[in-house]
Amino acid sequence: MRYSLQLLFFGFWLISQLAWGASAQSTEDTHEYLLSNGLKLIIKEDHRAPTVAHMVWYRAGSIDEFNGRTGVAHVLEHMMFKGTDKVKPGEFSRLVAAEGGRENAFTSRDYTAFFQQVEKSKLSKVMQLEADRMVNLNFDDADFAKEIQVVMEERRLRTEDNPDSLLNESLMATAFMSSPYRHPIIGWMNDLVNMKASDARQWYQNWYAPNNATVIVTGDIDPDKTYQLVEKYYGGIRAHELPVRKPQLEPEQKGVKQVHVKAPADSAQLVMAWKVPRLQPDNINNDEPYALELLAAVLDGYDNARLNRTLVKQARLADNVDAQYDMISRGPALFIVGVDLAKGKTIAQAEAGIRKVLAEVTDKGVLDSELKRIQTRLLANQVYKRDSIFGQAMEIGGFEMAGFSWKDLDTVQDRMQQITSAQVQAVAKKYLIDSTLTIAILDPQARQSAKVGVQK
Amino acid sequence: MKYYCQSLVLGAVMSIGLLTSVQAALPIQQLDSYKGAKAYLVQTQSLPMLDIEISIDAGTRYDPASKTGLAIMTAELLDNGIRSAGRNLTEAQIADEIADLGADISVGVTGERALIRIRCLSRPDIRDRAIQLARLILSSPTYDSVIVNREKQRISAGLLEAETKPDFVLDRRFRKAVYGDYPLGNAVTVKSIAGLSASDLKQFHQQFYRSDRVIVSMVGDVNKSEAQEIMQTLVKDLPQTGSSIPPLPELARSPVQNLSEREITIPFDSQQAHIAMGMTAISRNNPDYFPLIVGNYALGGGGFVSRLMNEVREKRGLAYSVFSYFAPGQETGIFQAGLQTKNDQATMALDVMTETISQFIAKGPTQSELDAAKANLINGFPLRIDNNRKLLDNVSSIAWNGLPLNTLDTWTEQVNAVTREQVESAFQKYLAMDRMKIVVLGAKQ
Repeated sequence: MRYSLQLLFFGFWLISQLAWGASAQSTEDTHEYLLSNGLKLIIKEDHRAPTVAHMVWYRAGSIDEFNGRTGVAHVLEHMMFKGTDKVKPGEFSRLVAAEGGRENAFTSRDYTAFFQQVEKSKLSKVMQLEADRMVNLNFDDADFAKEIQVVMEERRLRTEDNPDSLLNESLMATAFMSSPYRHPIIGWMNDLVNMKASDARQWYQNWYAPNNATVIVTGDIDPDKTYQLVEKYYGGIRAHELPVRKPQLEPEQKGVKQVHVKAPADSAQLVMAWKVPRLQPDNINNDEPYALELLAAVLDGYDNARLNRTLVKQARLADNVDAQYDMISRGPALFIVGVDLAKGKTIAQAEAGIRKVLAEVTDKGVLDSELKRIQTRLLANQVYKRDSIFGQAMEIGGFEMAGFSWKDLDTVQDRMQQITSAQVQAVAKKYLIDSTLTIAILDPQARQSAKVGVQK
Repeated sequence: MKYYCQSLVLGAVMSIGLLTSVQAALPIQQLDSYKGAKAYLVQTQSLPMLDIEISIDAGTRYDPASKTGLAIMTAELLDNGIRSAGRNLTEAQIADEIADLGADISVGVTGERALIRIRCLSRPDIRDRAIQLARLILSSPTYDSVIVNREKQRISAGLLEAETKPDFVLDRRFRKAVYGDYPLGNAVTVKSIAGLSASDLKQFHQQFYRSDRVIVSMVGDVNKSEAQEIMQTLVKDLPQTGSSIPPLPELARSPVQNLSEREITIPFDSQQAHIAMGMTAISRNNPDYFPLIVGNYALGGGGFVSRLMNEVREKRGLAYSVFSYFAPGQETGIFQAGLQTKNDQATMALDVMTETISQFIAKGPTQSELDAAKANLINGFPLRIDNNRKLLDNVSSIAWNGLPLNTLDTWTEQVNAVTREQVESAFQKYLAMDRMKIVVLGAKQ
């Protein structure tokens, strides 16, 4: 419900802005504009070196896909390099390369983004190219037929021959029954096999529009001149109505789920994933997501953090550990703890070990010294991240796509510093419970390589 | 192990990435040598932080044949306990202190060097504590036998896991094929790790971690005198010399062989066949370095616009990734090309790759390919030095390879001067199809 309200609000806000024309909001080094066609522009000045990162983010990722067409967001990302009316297939990359640029694109569950990094005087050229393919993409069926083969090779490389990915794919598909987060971003192989050029074209027509896009430019730039460039190249592209996004909310989980995956590997793996809240754009002062982020860091944020210290170094139950939680996302969040089992240890022992580490947090809380350590690290990272203009643009984009504003970045950092040990303990107790738990187990299988030789 | 592999890839990128500037690059300052250690600084004041890379001439090339993995374990256990005249710290205390400082200290090993990277805020109190800790990590590791045994178990588990992965198995076999009896051809195995003891590690540390084998590179918000002091602090507890180290053998040029002697197939039940092709090539200070890297951009280093990418991926849809690179260092490094494709296309993909590389060696790039390569490398130069981390990679590589300190200032000129004939003749001089080792891993169809 909350999700749909958010979208309604978004729609209304968009219409009102369209009526008013361009508007601007700024802080000292960051500037936000809304073009009359609905395109959002965020400029962050950083004059350390004469380079810029230029990105366009479309709010369309695998969360927007339906069964039978999974992977189409990512396939379209590939097809975006296949030409427009003016730019021949492959020419986009050649033109960017000629400017000395670095370019690529990425697709996530929540968005698809394209970027170029160039010396600052080349910004106009790459922006012109990027704006052109926002509206004029034009690829033929033969190009699609070749590129879908490339994507299938990518899936073989990243997933079919990779037990970690296979396990993660099954974990997500098991944890979520209805949410589109159950689909892999790259898509199920069978959906790739059956994908048609028309599926990719439809995706493009649905989602690639200025009113579904955010342009982010960071680096050694003048904001006014950059705004004028964006207005020149993107400003004339017409907004169009976006498809209605239905909520596809995940039904409440009623008990432990478990999935076993057999794949070629040497060590068994155990992953435990709990459904937990994420940060909501309309409730940014809710402390629970921040406390969960800090909990993940207390468990696995540095070399002597609890999971590594206890399970790897002391108990020798595991050879590697991992704890993850990301509070910024469009879809439902998981709090994930995973381990690679040490030789001779059983899944039951590993699970008991993880539960013991978590029980120590729920029973006794975390030490103030641990929390302070994590919070210090976060503060230092505020300085370190400014070393990269690319990283700064990435951070802004991730926030914006999840429905937040770059202006929330400071608030998030401030809140993280306010969280107490008691709050970390409270979220561990409240959310790491069996009724929302999914367990994924990798059951390692020997490679049948010798047999292959015999078959030959 | 993971970091080890990454370092190798990084090395390749870095060596391509030595650049310089249309606008002046920040100057690299050479500091006074201390106890035989060298140090270099690029002072950048825009952020209150400091990045340091300590290179130690203690890479895996020094592994004794029977003790492969020794250099890696010696480096990776540096921060698992410290015992010095001033301070004793457990691994947990070290990790907590690094975290309390908000600093990063990490260790890696390549064929040529062990690397310690430090990132910290430049505020003097924080910086000084981080440097003092790094000094102890570098000079006074405990190598406690309980921890050594635990880490041996972990490394062995990692190796067994890696042996189920096609890219690892391919890479190990390819390196053996190219390096032969040269030390870098020997692979770390569960057995070689099992044979290492705490005293082996201590001895290797004593023998190789000497101040006269150290180079410290710094980028960040410190002045020259502060940097000089930091460097002296880092190395002051290291011995300056030690027992003599036998010279490394010469890495021989890959010999001319019949295809049947050069090509190795490894049955493997992955969905994709993985292919590697390559041979020994050049060191970084080779006068043909620029023609080779400019040429390689056109062949397989230029991402989406390279000839290999065009033939293999764009025209035929055979692979997601296809590449070629030179990895030169102090010593001769390798040239390597590679791709992955589904098993029933392996023969076709290998044919396309072979034909493409063969054509390129025979005829060089076209003039337009050369112009495009030069345009990218020259226009893209500012991107190679636009933050502290990238500057550090460059400074450290220049220092390690003994290149002139103005290397960044002359880089674009040198790229610009490359001619089509120079590329063609350099490729013919250093590469040859009848010397290329080929490893194909996958299921035969």
